[in-house]
Amino acid sequence: MTREQRRNLLKGLAFCSPWLLGFLLFTALPIALSLYYSFCDYALTAPDRAPVWVGIANYRQLWGDELFWKALGTTFRYAAMALPAGVLVSLGLALMLNANIRGQTIYRAVIFLPSLVPATAAAMLWLWMFNGRFGLFNNLLERLGVGGLNWLSTDLALPSLALMSVWGVGNTVVIYLAGLQDVPRELLEAAEIDGADRFGRLVHVTLPMLSPVIFFNLVMAIIGTFSVLTVPYIMTRGGPNNATYFYTMYGYDTAFTYLRMGYASALAWVQLLIIMALTALAFWSARKWVHYV
Amino acid sequence: MIWVKRIIFALLILCGIAFVIYGAPRRDDKIPADFVVIRYWEKWTGNEGAQMQQIVDDFNRTVGREKKIFVRYMSMSNVDKKTLVAISAGVPPDIAGMWDQQVAQFAALGAIEPLDELATAHGITEQTYTPVYWNGCRYDGKLYALVSTPAAIALHYNRKVFSENAAALRAAGLDPDRPPRTLEEMDRYAEILTKRGPFGRIDRAGYLPLQSWYVPFTSYWFGQEIFDPKTQKFQLDAPQFIRAFEWIQSYSRKMGAKPIQDFISAHPQDNFDTPQNPFLTDTLIMQQQGPWQANYIDHLNPSMSRVLVPKDQEPTLPRRTDNYSWAVAPFPSAVPGLEDVSFCSFDALMIPTGTKHKNEAFEFIAYVNRQNVCEKLNMLHCKNTQLRSVSRNFIAKHPNPYIDVFQKLAASPNARGVPPVPIWPQVAKELNDAGQAVALENADPREVLTRAQARLQAEYDRFRAIDLKRREQQQQQHQLAQRK
Amino acid sequence: MSDLSAPAVSRRRPSRFSWDKAAVHFGLLCVCAGFMLPLVWLLSTSMKTIEQTGEYPPRFVPHPWQPQNYLKLFHHSNFRLATYTRNTVIITILTVTGTTLSSALVAYGFARIPFRGSGVLFGIMLATIMIPFPVTMVSLFRIFRWLDVHTPIQFLGTFKPLWLPAWFGNAFCIFLLRQFFRTVPRELSEAARIDGCSELGIFTRIILPLSKPALATVALFSFTWTWNDFLGPLVYLHEPDQHTLALGLQAFQSQHGGTEWHLLMAASALVCLPVLILFFLTQRTFIQGIATTGGK
Repeated sequence: MTREQRRNLLKGLAFCSPWLLGFLLFTALPIALSLYYSFCDYALTAPDRAPVWVGIANYRQLWGDELFWKALGTTFRYAAMALPAGVLVSLGLALMLNANIRGQTIYRAVIFLPSLVPATAAAMLWLWMFNGRFGLFNNLLERLGVGGLNWLSTDLALPSLALMSVWGVGNTVVIYLAGLQDVPRELLEAAEIDGADRFGRLVHVTLPMLSPVIFFNLVMAIIGTFSVLTVPYIMTRGGPNNATYFYTMYGYDTAFTYLRMGYASALAWVQLLIIMALTALAFWSARKWVHYV
Repeated sequence: MIWVKRIIFALLILCGIAFVIYGAPRRDDKIPADFVVIRYWEKWTGNEGAQMQQIVDDFNRTVGREKKIFVRYMSMSNVDKKTLVAISAGVPPDIAGMWDQQVAQFAALGAIEPLDELATAHGITEQTYTPVYWNGCRYDGKLYALVSTPAAIALHYNRKVFSENAAALRAAGLDPDRPPRTLEEMDRYAEILTKRGPFGRIDRAGYLPLQSWYVPFTSYWFGQEIFDPKTQKFQLDAPQFIRAFEWIQSYSRKMGAKPIQDFISAHPQDNFDTPQNPFLTDTLIMQQQGPWQANYIDHLNPSMSRVLVPKDQEPTLPRRTDNYSWAVAPFPSAVPGLEDVSFCSFDALMIPTGTKHKNEAFEFIAYVNRQNVCEKLNMLHCKNTQLRSVSRNFIAKHPNPYIDVFQKLAASPNARGVPPVPIWPQVAKELNDAGQAVALENADPREVLTRAQARLQAEYDRFRAIDLKRREQQQQQHQLAQRK
Repeated sequence: MSDLSAPAVSRRRPSRFSWDKAAVHFGLLCVCAGFMLPLVWLLSTSMKTIEQTGEYPPRFVPHPWQPQNYLKLFHHSNFRLATYTRNTVIITILTVTGTTLSSALVAYGFARIPFRGSGVLFGIMLATIMIPFPVTMVSLFRIFRWLDVHTPIQFLGTFKPLWLPAWFGNAFCIFLLRQFFRTVPRELSEAARIDGCSELGIFTRIILPLSKPALATVALFSFTWTWNDFLGPLVYLHEPDQHTLALGLQAFQSQHGGTEWHLLMAASALVCLPVLILFFLTQRTFIQGIATTGGK
């Protein structure tokens, strides 16, 4: 290393030191500890309750735990509903907003607004709207002559939550909008000259140019969907009959209701591995459809 | 435009500063500096909270002033979870008001302090309490909690609707002037009193097992315990237990799972404290509930309790209960000869580990268990009492005219409480899930319960094995330390 | 890299009427109506009495209306508006300041100092965004407990676990700021370096003043996340006196019914208010800020 390089290294590390320290103390150490706990039984209630090493017993129990599989399945089913809905709706809205129309600022603001509402307030609001007797939705349906639905029943709870997640796509729409601004006009005009109709321009020029943004949002959405906790915690508490018992809720309950911190750590690590696998899958598939300029 | 924005921005910042300065929690009480302040976390809000606050104020004025103790009452939601996390964080309250369900779990986790010596010092012994409550406060041979307010569960039934359907009941060979005495009889009453609407909708339900808050304890009325302490095994796959859940399922077979689910979602558990409580609107005719129900009826639908004359003229009636269109009886059992079965729960006061004022905290707990204080609190909360000795005034002046039924049920040899297992939250979840699966999704009770049994037994055995291992580890460390 | 100072929509020739545009307008209007409906319902319910909330069929405009619900919130027994707001303000200010300052510092290191391994570290930093909260939730708790026992400072039971980590940088904000810092022309810092300015001097005197929009964006993001945060307070704040607004809304959830929906909606409206006001004040910065994160 030259002297300049060494100087730069010191300067760089100095500037990055807050993050480095924080990373070690608040990220790396907890993750390592979490891995250690996942091989123990640990109940944190009193300082003298040391963790008891149990080897892979937690993971073995996890493998045979029905509730684990059910929670995992529920989370995947929710993701299968919420992810496509979110992507399609946000992309569609962005495309519509990008059309040369007046009042774009107002529309954009209105669409962005719901994503600013705190999760607790949103959960309470939608819980009230889903109410079987006094809820807004059922009352509207009854006015239309169709009977009211049991929105948070075992069948409809997941779709209802997915519907609610679409309400908060505002920030994704804005990201798409920005990406759409960067689609080069020349390419669009060239395609138009070549005889592509609007749909053709969309599919062959706009979407490919937008693909890095779509990819970024997809990865963010995967991570977000698999970490969902606040809304179901407040709205349904995992019910009815575990219909909305998401994976993160199971982890939280295991840690702070049953006080099985070891098992909760094992659950968390499996969650991390799944998210990493899905992200890796997204990255691998990106080679096929993401075009970087 | 930009100036408007700047002004609004400045206003926001000013508001923020105002809140920081003036938003500090205000303490209206002036406590002398040498008093010990006891933080008491409790679940009760609203009326029940205000009533407990009265008792706290009484204590602070009398015993507290004498012994230089001040109890600060703080009500909060999810008090059990918050207390557990606070104990783990090392900042627990001095008294935690939770439920009987937490005693075994918290004791096994070392989260609460044993109270044997303190209790004996204050004269509270096994002879003071009704057995079912005393046993509920103990775990592993030690006393870990004391009762603040107890309860016993009984059958509440709507006498008015009974008599309105007298002809139909008599035609089926049932007596409309008395409550059902066996479970099978109750099923028949329920069937006749149920009214259906269009699309199979349940307009009026005679009884619905899933409406009860006590689904996990259904087996008690079938003569079956949940857990056998002698063999240390759960009993979920015992024949009577399965029969209990088959009984729950029988209602879904008769009325249809979907109408029941619709009924339950239209009358969810969390509308108990509203005028739309189905028992108050003659929509649910028979219900499994506790003694507090009388208070709620008085507040939300007093006409149910004042049929003939206003409350202050009740003494003119031959029997006070003649004025009531609802009544209470022991919830019938499915086993002939098994009488006065009840599930007895209670609200418990515990002292978390890590508190610095254990003795002072116990002063308040002991105060709440003095007979006069206990009776005052339970009359306010409209519950029975946990003490063996009961004053005549309590029974005579109690707001619930049927309080003698509850007292009898609590003292009955067939009264049962929460089983003393340290993994009760898991058990409760499994049993509630099983109830829902059996009632709403037509699952086979035997299958569901056998699987639940396997899971819970494995969980329990695992817990015990780890506990043993941990104790060995501690002993080894102890010996190592001693050798040094 | 889009120029932050240009408006998002460039002025083009005035548009003529076309069925396509009408269709787009119609679609957007429907969607916006749908998006606003819950918020309108929130406002409407917040000004009803409890009996009106149980009305059938429900009305959008309560008559008579009850704006005094908002005043009732100040005296509610369970939901202590003043205390919760105070707690939230304190935590938010500490977090926002910490995040902005530390993230700027770290981002400068990544953006303007070519040191060996910066790419790898940056990649690791990005990867940490992927880590879900449950993985570190329990261990962090344990670490704070250990610090409580072994240091004279008390962490658990105070606000510290909520705002202290913010002073060590936030991966997302660092990423945002780094992207922005890279757009500042190198000649400026070169010139300053030749003049004898230290690296820190370049940072404070040249980069920071030029980065006001980006810094404002980071501050706004941080404000919104912290103001709305529920899980952090859920795990770390136990005493009711310490609760934040987002956590305190739970106080309205009664276990056995009698949820005061009208007061709950009023409280929710109040909790949303500061973030909404800030959003309207800084709409352009906010949205531009999000725009710059999009996959560049």
